[in-house]
Amino acid sequence: MPLLEIIDLTKDFGGVAANNHISLEIERGEIIGLIGPNGAGKTTLFNCIVGYHKPNQGAIRFKGKDITGLKPFQTNREGIGRTFQIMSISGDLTVLENVMVGSFCKTSDRRTARQEASEIMNLTGLEQDAEARLTELPVATQKRVGLAMALATKPELLMLDEVASGLNPRETEEMVALLKNIYVVKGLTLFLTEHVMEVVMPISQRIIVLDGGQKIAEGRPQDIANNERVIRAYLGEKYAKGRRDRGSI
Amino acid sequence: MRTLRDAFSFGDLPLVERIGFAIFIMFCTLFPWVTKGSFDQAVMIQFLIFCLYGLGWNLIGGYGGQVALGQAKNVGMSAYTVALLMVWWDIPFWLSTPLGVVVATIESFVLGYFLFRLRGHYFAIATIAVSLVWQQLFINWDLIGGARGVELPLKETPNFLYMQFASPIYYHYFAFLLVLAAILYMNWFRKSRLGYQLRSITSNEEVAESLGINAHWVKVKAYCITGVFAGMGGAFYTVYYNYIDPFSVMHLELSVMIALMTMIGGAGSMWGPIIGAMILIPLDRYLGAWLGGSGIIGVDFMIYALMVMIISAYEPKGIWGIIEKVRARR
Repeated sequence: MPLLEIIDLTKDFGGVAANNHISLEIERGEIIGLIGPNGAGKTTLFNCIVGYHKPNQGAIRFKGKDITGLKPFQTNREGIGRTFQIMSISGDLTVLENVMVGSFCKTSDRRTARQEASEIMNLTGLEQDAEARLTELPVATQKRVGLAMALATKPELLMLDEVASGLNPRETEEMVALLKNIYVVKGLTLFLTEHVMEVVMPISQRIIVLDGGQKIAEGRPQDIANNERVIRAYLGEKYAKGRRDRGSI
Repeated sequence: MRTLRDAFSFGDLPLVERIGFAIFIMFCTLFPWVTKGSFDQAVMIQFLIFCLYGLGWNLIGGYGGQVALGQAKNVGMSAYTVALLMVWWDIPFWLSTPLGVVVATIESFVLGYFLFRLRGHYFAIATIAVSLVWQQLFINWDLIGGARGVELPLKETPNFLYMQFASPIYYHYFAFLLVLAAILYMNWFRKSRLGYQLRSITSNEEVAESLGINAHWVKVKAYCITGVFAGMGGAFYTVYYNYIDPFSVMHLELSVMIALMTMIGGAGSMWGPIIGAMILIPLDRYLGAWLGGSGIIGVDFMIYALMVMIISAYEPKGIWGIIEKVRARR
């Protein structure tokens, strides 16, 4: 039984189909990359899975249970954690407190929550920032806080939305290393949407490509990198053609 | 056990705050013995009642960030329940108060359940609208006294069951005990799961939901607790004044006063509501008495409004925000 199963999912916004008959499966313990040009429907698919959008058609199954149309807090309780591309948290909660809010998802005892939160903060390298406010921190650290908060809810499937956007190459590298480490330590299944190929290519075991709301390719990273439809979707008709021409000479 | 220990433990607060709290307790304990003026004592009791309202409102308005402007109707419903039960069936304070609180809480629950589908200003406006409707209903409902209000039957001798005493000292201490209980509750609350979740919703509801928090339900819960505080205050108000009408306990002005006071003191902080009440209630009463007597009508409101504007322009987090800034600078 796959961990996450999406069957013929369609979501349209007033006639514009953001997701058009998408089906995919994710096995437990996999790392899946979801890529595609802007407007391909990656975020919509994400939002349908976690419950911010309700799909017009199709079903989403998690651990064999139908979770279509559940609210975000319900999908989280089922075991789906997510991070945000940009997480704007105002207010006076410190990093530690924010992570504790995540831990409170599974326990009501403050001491347990606090201990779990510090463990996760050690794992994500946030020991120094426990008392800081989120807005005071650099983007790379904010991303790690988001990761820590999601991890604190003890998800089985962690969905990462553009986890490397806004990071410089060195920070991106550190993020990839951190994700790999978390994947091993926590035994998670990772599902990431990404623009930055330096993140998706080395980490993903399988890549799914969306374009115009449809799934156009699925396979191992090296196959995807050479897939003509994918290149066409990313670079446009002209480049794909030019490549073919060169190849023939 | 842990809950109790959390409620009574102020150990994580800075020493200054603990000293401040101790001074507050001493001041409230000794006040009736030091002051003999009945006006001063009345102001003091009003201060304590408003502390209670403010501490409750701080839950939804401060920690929860929802500008609910309808506390007066919860105060009023509990006050009316207590008063009418006493007038109609001679039911003692100690039996009618729990009922009054339950009525106030149920109203909070039903209202919160529906109104929390609205956000931000829309929620605030909706609470105002509902309060106005309730007030009109109470004004025009003859069965419960209408615009004339309800007067409690006075007992011939001081009676503990009906909370009728000859000296305001008893009222003072009872109100003080209620405030202390409220402070202990808030001390527990700020460390509790509910407290964390509520603050998380205030910072970003979408993120909070992604962390498994049912934002709607958490807000409804907090609103109900706010209703309990208002209900307690309303019940006490009734036996203290022995008279209520829709203009004193159902009025929008009371709701706004509670919210303003908390915001000026510092919404979302432990001591904010108390500081707010400490400044605004004496200011309001003494200015009113002093300037009202001199014939310059309305100047007290002007000074009052000016202060509100200065503080909200200078520091949106209120006086407590200023204190924290000064402390951080050192």
